[in-house]
Amino acid sequence: MNNVNTGELLNFQDYSPEHNDRTARIEVEAVHTNQYNNMSTPNYGFEEPKNVEEPQAVPQKNHNFWTIEYYQKYFDVHTNEVVERIISSVLPQKVSRNYFDERIKGKPDLYGPIWISDTLIFTIAVSGNIANYLQSANKVVHWRYDFHLVSYAATAIFCYVWLVPLALWAALKWTTLPDGQDEIETQQSTSPTMMSLFCLYGYSLSIYIPVAILWTIQVSWLQWLFVLMAAFVSGAVLIFWLMPALRKSKYFFILVGSILAFHFLLATGFMLYFFHVPDTDVPIKVSITTS
Amino acid sequence: MTTFDSKYDMFPAGDVGVVEGEMNIPSQGGPSGESMEFNTLDEPIKETFMRDLRAVGNKFFHVLIPKEKTSLLKEWDLWGPLLLCTLMATILQGSTERADNSNDGGPEFAEVFVLVWIGAAVVTANSKLLGGNISFFQSVCVLGYCLFPIALALIICRVILFMTQNSFLFFLRLVISMVGFIWATFAATKFLGDSQPEGKKALAVYPICLFYFILSWLVVSHSNV
Repeated sequence: MNNVNTGELLNFQDYSPEHNDRTARIEVEAVHTNQYNNMSTPNYGFEEPKNVEEPQAVPQKNHNFWTIEYYQKYFDVHTNEVVERIISSVLPQKVSRNYFDERIKGKPDLYGPIWISDTLIFTIAVSGNIANYLQSANKVVHWRYDFHLVSYAATAIFCYVWLVPLALWAALKWTTLPDGQDEIETQQSTSPTMMSLFCLYGYSLSIYIPVAILWTIQVSWLQWLFVLMAAFVSGAVLIFWLMPALRKSKYFFILVGSILAFHFLLATGFMLYFFHVPDTDVPIKVSITTS
Repeated sequence: MTTFDSKYDMFPAGDVGVVEGEMNIPSQGGPSGESMEFNTLDEPIKETFMRDLRAVGNKFFHVLIPKEKTSLLKEWDLWGPLLLCTLMATILQGSTERADNSNDGGPEFAEVFVLVWIGAAVVTANSKLLGGNISFFQSVCVLGYCLFPIALALIICRVILFMTQNSFLFFLRLVISMVGFIWATFAATKFLGDSQPEGKKALAVYPICLFYFILSWLVVSHSNV
């Protein structure tokens, strides 16, 4: 079988036999000398990570912090998993009750948080520009788009996605009461890892993406309704998933309150800064911000 | 024939694969007799330049008609992306004469430049992290070359901007940059889609869509005359 194949391989180039002999010899040398043939270099280049990756999937090998394989374990998700996690951040009743404990905590991913926040940044920048255009549509001023909304949105979102989970993780770590009432339960739901909090927070922003598009509708009470709805839904889902860990903390109410407050603050900030016309409906604004 | 066969048998299995792979390359470039005396030292500079230019032009052509999957991946270069990126950044930059105007919002030259290169690097890093088997610069090369439809859309929009603006012309610009976006995404997906494992393809394609969408947004929003 093998002999037949190699014979075919030698003949398939359609060279005359003595020519064939000569080219083959040259090409073997060319592997070592000819720099122009960069086909051989990439081949060696991307054979290697593949070999390293295979054992990594099974026994969770420890890679160096600076290698790409170290981070590959945070991107080891499939399309349906990502979709399921997005759904779980909006409609927790669609997935099983301890979805967070079973799935996200064991295998937090960074794909979702990174790309959801990127999408949100550019959605806000684009629809903020559309909102700005709609506001100045009936004015004489020549409207120009503002590219720099991207930088403001990026700063706000990245601060939120990285700093708030960090603070929450620290708070949970140092305020958890060592309760000895139920040994099994404490082992089951220890305080969540930092990565799973990043993951959870990143996915919880996904509801703001459709809301950011809807914020372009220039009706003030509708905009505030969207703020309330989005912040309430994703904040409630956050609390829902974190409830077992939060309950063990000394400052249960302070933590719950600050999680919700930060969520409302983020939504209100987005809406007021990027989408809102400042001079209308003052009474509604006051009543919301005090609540 | 006989001499080759005896030599062939002496090679271990690994070397056979290399010989087989290398034999394909010269038949791509031209007749294999030429590549034997391939030497760039004493050829006129015009030939060297034209050969590289022809390679770049060939790749642009493959982006416009993306049917052969491996043509862009074989030999990457960054000349085409550099040209496209510089062109787009030059056209897209905000006008300086209205710098005191509060609402002069176009990006700076450097911002577009950085957006394109960092964007391509991030999208590539994403596909590497997802476990795709493609080298870093090959992917950056493909992403850069696939900017070509968007750059074309930008040039057409620039020409349209010379006319007196009305809502029909805005609609026309919107349609043109949408076509550019779809074309670029389609081409990049065609070239890069196969490098991902099954079940992660959508995860790798989505950032590419986002990247080209942002650049198309810049194209359609650009209205500095």
